[in-house]
This record gives sequence, C-alpha cells and structure tokens, in this order.
Amino acid sequence: MSAADPLLELPYGTTPDPEEFLRAAIRWHFSKETGAPFWLDRLGRLDFDPIEDVRSFDDLKLFPNFANELRDVRAEDLIPRGYGDRPSIVGVFDSGGTTGAPKRVIMLQEWLDMLLAHSNAQLDAHGVPRDVNWLLAIPSGPHMVGASFQQLVAQRGGLSFSVDVDPRWVKKIIARGDQAESDLYTEHLIDQLQHPLRSQDIGVLMLTPPVLERLCRRDELVDLVREKVKAIMWVGTQLDPDTRNLYRTELFPDAVLCSGFGNTMTLGHVTERPGLTDDDPCVYDPFSPYMTYNVVDLEKRRPVEYGERGRVVMHYVGKSLFLPNNVERDVATRIRPLPGDVGDAVADIAPVREFDDEKVIEGVY
Amino acid sequence: MPASEPYALDALGPQGPYRARNRETVTDTAGTEVARLSLVPRLFVSRALAALHKAKPLPRERRLAALARAARIFREEEVHGLTYDAYERTVARVSGIPLPAVRSAADEIADSARRALAGAYGALPGGAVLDWQDARTRTGSAVWTRRGEVLAVNAAGNHPAPHALWLEALALGFRVAIRPSRREPFTPHRLVAALRAAGFGDDHVVLLPTDHAVAGELLTGADLALVYGGDDVVRKYAGDPNVLVQGPGRAKILVTAGSDWRARLNTMVDSIAHHGGMKCVNASAVFVEGDPAPVARALAERLGALPSLPAEDEKAGLPVQTLDRARALERHLLERAKGTVAHLGGMGVVDELAGGGAVLRPAVFEAPDLKGGWHTAELPFPCVWVVPWSRADGAAVLGDSLVVGVLTDEEGSPSDGEPVDGLIDELVADRTIANVYVGDHATHWMDRGVPHDGYLGEFLMRSKTVIRG
Repeated sequence: MSAADPLLELPYGTTPDPEEFLRAAIRWHFSKETGAPFWLDRLGRLDFDPIEDVRSFDDLKLFPNFANELRDVRAEDLIPRGYGDRPSIVGVFDSGGTTGAPKRVIMLQEWLDMLLAHSNAQLDAHGVPRDVNWLLAIPSGPHMVGASFQQLVAQRGGLSFSVDVDPRWVKKIIARGDQAESDLYTEHLIDQLQHPLRSQDIGVLMLTPPVLERLCRRDELVDLVREKVKAIMWVGTQLDPDTRNLYRTELFPDAVLCSGFGNTMTLGHVTERPGLTDDDPCVYDPFSPYMTYNVVDLEKRRPVEYGERGRVVMHYVGKSLFLPNNVERDVATRIRPLPGDVGDAVADIAPVREFDDEKVIEGVY
Repeated sequence: MPASEPYALDALGPQGPYRARNRETVTDTAGTEVARLSLVPRLFVSRALAALHKAKPLPRERRLAALARAARIFREEEVHGLTYDAYERTVARVSGIPLPAVRSAADEIADSARRALAGAYGALPGGAVLDWQDARTRTGSAVWTRRGEVLAVNAAGNHPAPHALWLEALALGFRVAIRPSRREPFTPHRLVAALRAAGFGDDHVVLLPTDHAVAGELLTGADLALVYGGDDVVRKYAGDPNVLVQGPGRAKILVTAGSDWRARLNTMVDSIAHHGGMKCVNASAVFVEGDPAPVARALAERLGALPSLPAEDEKAGLPVQTLDRARALERHLLERAKGTVAHLGGMGVVDELAGGGAVLRPAVFEAPDLKGGWHTAELPFPCVWVVPWSRADGAAVLGDSLVVGVLTDEEGSPSDGEPVDGLIDELVADRTIANVYVGDHATHWMDRGVPHDGYLGEFLMRSKTVIRG
C-alpha cells in the first residue's frame, strides 16, 4: 500500500488538477515521513513554509535555485523516504557537465514508465512506426537519454542498435576551438553508424543534427537511409528551418522527421508538437504538470511576451523528485501553451549567445 | 530596380535558384535596404558540392564558347531582372566602390570570360600537352591535368575584379562553388547566373551564400579552394596545399635616389588611388631613398584634391562606406598613425555625404623608420605610408608584397646614385614578392597573359607523364 496521495500516482492519460497535484507533491516532499533527506535538510534554509505558502505553480519562484547543490549531494538522499528501502531504480544520471561538476539525479522506474507512455503517444502522433529497430547515436552511461530510449525502443517492439556519444569530450574539443578534432570525432560516429545501417533492418534513426548533416555527405548512407528508415528523430541541438525543409523535401521526403527536447533536470524529454509546418518554429509542449517551463526575462523577473525570446526556467514536480525553479543556460521563444497546460510551451531552444563589436581587420578583403 | 521591394538574391544551387528562409538584408552605404540575400545552411552546401563532384565537365570547346557568351550576358544583358546599368549602380551603392571602378571591373570580368584560356594556359608548362591522346604521348609526354574536380571560392567583397580569376578554373574544366561576400554578392550572383544562361549546367557552377560558421563546409567539400582574407586567413591555411590564399597586397613603390619622382607623380597617385584604393594592387607604402617629406607633401597635395562624391557618381573616385564602418576605419587609422607625421588625413578621413554614408578620403603619413612597421598597414581606401629607405636597409624590407614598383629613371645606369640592377635582382629573387614593376608602371598594371599572384593554373593543375602505344 502506498502512503502517497493518489493524485501522485495517476495513470498516464489521467491529468490531475495542476494545483491540487502540486500541493500533494509538496506535502509528500516536505513531510518528515515521506520527503527526501535532500529537501528535509533544506527546509530550515527556506524563508517560507512550502506546505502552507506554495499554492500555485507561480509560487515555485519562491524557491531559490537549489540545482547547483545536486553536484555534491549524496545520491541516496534524493530518494523520498516514502518509497521505503528498495524502490525500483533505473539509474543515477548526470547533467551534461558543461559547467564544472555534473548535477546528479536519480530516476525511478515508475517515473520512466509514465514518461515513456507520454513519449510513445507523441511518437505515435507523429507517425513514427512501432515494431521497427532503432539506430541511436546518443549518449549512454551517465546520461539519461541512453537508458530511457533503450526501454522505449523495447516497449515499441524493436531492437536498439547504438553508437555511443561522449558529449563532454565533444564540448571540450569545441571549447578549445579544435575544428579538425571535432570533425574527426563526428566522422568516427558516422563510421560506426554505417555498419548497422548496411547490415540491419533499421526503421528509426535517432541522432543529433550535426551527425545527420555529416551522414548526408556520404551518398551511400543517404541512399541507405532513404531505402530503410521510416522516421528520423533528432535531438540535442537545434535544426534550422531551412535544413529541416531540405530533409523533408529533398533528402528524405518519405521519412517522418521529428525532434525531441530533453533535460536531465526535468527527468526526461518531450517530442515536438505534432502537425507543425516547415514555417513554424519547433515547438515543445510541457509534459504538464510534471515537466514544465517558463520563458522569462531574468533581470526583470517576469515572463517575456509570447513570441519573444527569454531564458528558460524549468520545473520538475513528481512523486520521485521535486526540482523547482531551475534556471537553464538556454534561451527559447515563449509559445502559448495548449489548453490546460501549466507554464509555457517553448520553441527554438538555443544556448545563450554573445556578440562581439565590429573589429577592423587590416587589408582590403 | 524597383525601390518598393528589396531585390531577392537567391542562392544558385545545383537544382536551380534557391530561396532560403534565412535571408540577410543587404543595405547600401546609407543604410537603405537594397536586397535580401538567401543564406544556405550547411546541408545545402555539402549536397551542392556532392552534385558538383558528380557532374562531368563540358568539353573544352563548349566551355570556351559558353564563357564567351557569358561575357556578353554579364556585361550587356538583363540577368535575373537586373539590367547591366542597374547592376553597376547597385554595386556602387552597396559596396561604395566608385562607379567607374565597378564598370572597369565588369569589363575585366567580361574580358577574362572571353579570354579565360589566355590566363589559364599561361601556366601550361612548356613540356606538357593538354590531352593524353596528343601524338607526343606516344613517346612519353607530360599531360597537364586537374589537381581536383571541384574548386571552392571564398570570395572577396572589396572589389568585383577578383571574380575575373576563377573563370580560369571553369575554362580548365573545374566545377566551381562560389561563396560570395555578404558585402557585395551582386557580382558573383550576376556572373554565375550569366554562366548558366550561357550553357554551364546548374551543377557546374553554384553560388552558395552562407554565414561565417558554414564557410568551412565549402572548403571541406571541395578538392581545392581559393580564399581571400587578411593575415589571419593566410596563417590559418599556410600549411594546407589545397588552399590558395589571396592575402593582403601591401603593394609598395620604391623611389630610388636621384630618380625624377616629380615626373612620376601621376604613376604614384594612380597606384595609390586607382579604383578608390580598394584593391590589393593599390600601393599602401612608398619607400623613398632620401628625404621622404617632399614626396609625402606632393602626394598629399594631389590626393587631397580628389573630390568627395557619392559612389554612384560618374566622376566618383573615392570609396564610400556606412558611417559606422568609416568611423571604425578612421579610428583604426589614427591609432595606427601615432608616431608619424600626417601630411593628409591627420585629423580624420571621414567625409559624410548628405544622402547618407561617408567618403573615405585619402591619407598620407610620413613614418620615421621601417622598424615601427607603420608601412604594413593596408586599409581599403587611398592610404599611404611614406618611409625613408636606404641601400643599407636592403631589399628584404620591401618583401611581403604583391607588387613592388621601382620608380627609377634608367635600369643599370642611373644618372645619380648606385646602380639598381643588383637591387632588382634581389626583388625578383625574393619569394615573398609576387610581382616587380621597374620604371613608369602603376602597381595595378595587369594583363590577361601575366600572373597576378602566380598563375592560378600553377595551383589548379599538375603535369603527369603518359606514354602509350
């Protein structure tokens, strides 16, 4: 028997009232009997009483950004006590680690089941076929996406063929400006992708836009993808509308092309809104009320207008974890959410960019 | 050009014109929008280059005929809705290159298209034949062959004339991909469109405007690349045998002792200010054996008399830039000029035009010595550093030059001073000097049959032995 509020354990497809759900989650995470040591230890540092004072999603901004403390906290302390001694755990997963030590979360199987139910429904809506094999060039090991999609592919009735990607090494290469090394790494991935593409029945391809682009330099691989692949799912970075259009019209007109947006601090990923045209921005809806977003002006501490760019603030509210008000390094366009969804939909997510002043370079060219 | 709607500068891909969602506004020097340039994504570049690799070149005769037709179309006909007159005015307005210079460059491009082989075959080794079926291969002969099939050109925007060069590659059978400068995309757009109208296939010559981040994809996907840029670009590709860099010109004039420089003042002024001083062959330094001050004064007087006019004016001779860019160049110049004596432009070189934009007026600075390095600063307007030079400084300090012009009265027997033959020997031997002009020749002198910075053919082609029968 679970001690949790049934609102926290609704099956996929039954959406709770967001605010009632939020309050139930807060009670769970901040009660001595059920809460995780991580939150109970930090209660004294809050200048408000979460159970009394947090009534709506808007109130989540009362919480300071504790995400940085996930770099050092003992992983076991993240598991709510209410789960007892041996909850079913998928694994411990790291954030990308762009800035110093990675942030660490624990993913429980019951959440992954919920996430994959949502993901499956979204992929079905895009027309991504079931009962086909996937070829995935995505990070495994400490990264959540690898483990999640292994299970997803199995649930959809296919085999996973994978090529490992080490995003931290890629970021290091890029940070030191070594374009040649970065190219070599991408070629290394393509070299590995070509073997299963040739020998196996691959129905879905999942990779990053730069790897897909690089794959398209090789005509043989383009032909194999045209021949075998029914759907291409791109993740990790953005794809500009012109490139997306070229894939859809010239390169792979018969394949479904859709994207996923994932973030460790929201314990998962969502798939782009189905039915977008080539001229629409690439919109991601929240998995409300669990994974939600706000697009804000950080300095003015308020939402930007719909259609405007702002920093992305993410919240995860669930039974297995509570992680509110996490300010990401990404910027996105604020999009009006679908009816009933909490927060904002987001589009065209990209890292914060900096601009240089015009410099004079001598010479006539 | 209709003023109401900006002109659509489409990419010219292997399947025809391509209008991207990602379009960059091209403005004139007054800041008015003139065109929208389609910027293609990386994927478009890699697929276009793959298409160029697959295409087979036209037979030589047809290539030459098509080039000749393209010359006429480029110089006379309406191309993508632009008449020639509208084209040259637009280039002047957008790039600030004086109209007469644009016209002269267009003539040069058309001439290059008509006579592309004159330049291309200049590099043909005396012992080589053009075809393996030539009778000479029966007893063994060198055959001149392409070092690759696809040439990428990362083009310059300072002036249209460099577009005359890569036509030689088309004549030799290369397929060519041009990445235009976003400052002046009109010339390569018109030229590629004219070449297509004249008979080259869409997959033989393409125009791929991209943002900076995608530029490298052109070089990666091509066999050989021709790249224009500054010292940083030269350094970047120094070790790459497949990239030919056209770097800073740093053309220099040497006035030897005793030469009657006053009689050559026209040549000097012309070297400095021809085509608005915007080309790599414009002189940016004058070395004077003796007192540089009188030379600097005379140059300042002559250059200072050039009128400030809008670039589209038939009499325009000085470059125009947006006010912001003109001010940035001026700041840079005045910073660089610290420690020199200003003869012209010491208080600034920016002359705002009533209709927007600003003329960059000539500058003449007298530098105290060569050690300070002032003379290496090459800027895209008539700007010259006059420096003292003596035989003790040697010829090496004249190095790192596209052209060294030696203004001397007579080879071998100067009326006054040391013989110059030994000096000319050293200049001709110096591997950092591309061209040496002795006597009354402006630094911008060129001819179709002689190399500009080596023959392009030396880079594009190689000789291989064939023996048969």
